Amino acid sequence: MSARNSMNPAILPEDHSPPLWPHTLLAPLMAGAAVLSALAAPPLVGVVLALFAGAVCIGSALVLARRVRRGERKLHDLDLRLLQSQKLAAIGELSSGIAHEINNPLAIITQEIDLARELFGPNGCPGEGDLADIRDSLDQVGKQVARCRQITHKLLNFARKMEPVIQEESLERVIEDMALLVEREALGRGVAIVRDYDHSLPQVRTDVPLLRQVILNLLTNALQATPQGGSITLGTGRRDGQAIIEVRDTGCGIPPQNMAKIFDPFFTTKEPGKGTGLGLSVSHGIVARLGGSLTAQSTPGQGATFTVALPL
Amino acid sequence: MADPIRVLIVDDEERFRDTLGKLLGRHGFTVRTAGGGNEALALLADAPCDVIVLDVKMPGLSGQEALPLLRAACPEAEVLVLTGHASVDIASAMITGGAADYLLKPCPTDELEGAIRAVYDRRQATKPR
Repeated sequence: MSARNSMNPAILPEDHSPPLWPHTLLAPLMAGAAVLSALAAPPLVGVVLALFAGAVCIGSALVLARRVRRGERKLHDLDLRLLQSQKLAAIGELSSGIAHEINNPLAIITQEIDLARELFGPNGCPGEGDLADIRDSLDQVGKQVARCRQITHKLLNFARKMEPVIQEESLERVIEDMALLVEREALGRGVAIVRDYDHSLPQVRTDVPLLRQVILNLLTNALQATPQGGSITLGTGRRDGQAIIEVRDTGCGIPPQNMAKIFDPFFTTKEPGKGTGLGLSVSHGIVARLGGSLTAQSTPGQGATFTVALPL
Repeated sequence: MADPIRVLIVDDEERFRDTLGKLLGRHGFTVRTAGGGNEALALLADAPCDVIVLDVKMPGLSGQEALPLLRAACPEAEVLVLTGHASVDIASAMITGGAADYLLKPCPTDELEGAIRAVYDRRQATKPR
């Protein structure tokens, strides 16, 4: 590729293409002349002209075909480059998110160590009251390390190349397994879990452990968002030839300005240390790998509905 | 002896602001802490301060949004940004917005203290008498 092209990647660079005049002007003129000469001149002239016009047309067709192929190849290259730059942008975004999420607990650890060192005093004999503070600082260091560990372990899951292992399973069963896990806690919080399954739905070919992870994440999010007296509805169904799983809560809903960000890695509205902001983005990635889609609808104040659509 | 430097720490991490406050207090600063931009504005309405240590990513009013409001509420204070967010864009936006310095978490306490004293001294030196 020329230096000029690599600097300015045009899909169809006009200046490097063969001229268009042979097939736009010359071929029709030849064909016209062939018709006229067939009427006026001896037949041999007409035959020669017609053959010549035909040759020009074939040549032009070949040139055009080459040009279209080259265009398609360029388009494909651009697609690949776009994909690569999107990947790099995602990595950039992710690493700045990781830096922020890890730097905050590290900052707490740094301050706790500074405080503990100071309380120890120059001769290493802290007073009784200071000893309690040092112990508290050490506990806090432990807590913040656990927070970092949670982030890095979730990231490993996020980055791991998850090749799905496909098996046939009933969606209802996958959901029930996870519903039973959170039901006790839900009841403790005064939140009801309502089932609305379509029993006629056939089994789905999917990766069951991965799907379980998605359902559990949606369920725990719903539980955290739903106040006492509310409910979480788990539903299955069929829409546009796809199997549908719905997790609907009666919680606070998602403000419209957050809607575009909820699947971004590290986006969270939870208190610092309470959520890593990775659950929904990991779930989104899993469902995409399973060939489906994860979407959300919400009216603020009236709860949110997360819908997993999977191929049937 | 000179009056202690009055510091306002604005950070949504409760443990961070409490421990940092305790440390700075032990080192002779007068410290108040706020969990977000709005709380900081309320505290400044009560009494001014000399240096505001401001986090960037906070729920509600972010550091970037709070910066012009804090500067308007307390023009004599210098703002020192202390964040875990390593973004050149945000750093330059904060400095353009009037922040005196930009420090990255985790920051050892003595470095932070040095930065607080430096921006305070600079302000004292350029203050109209």
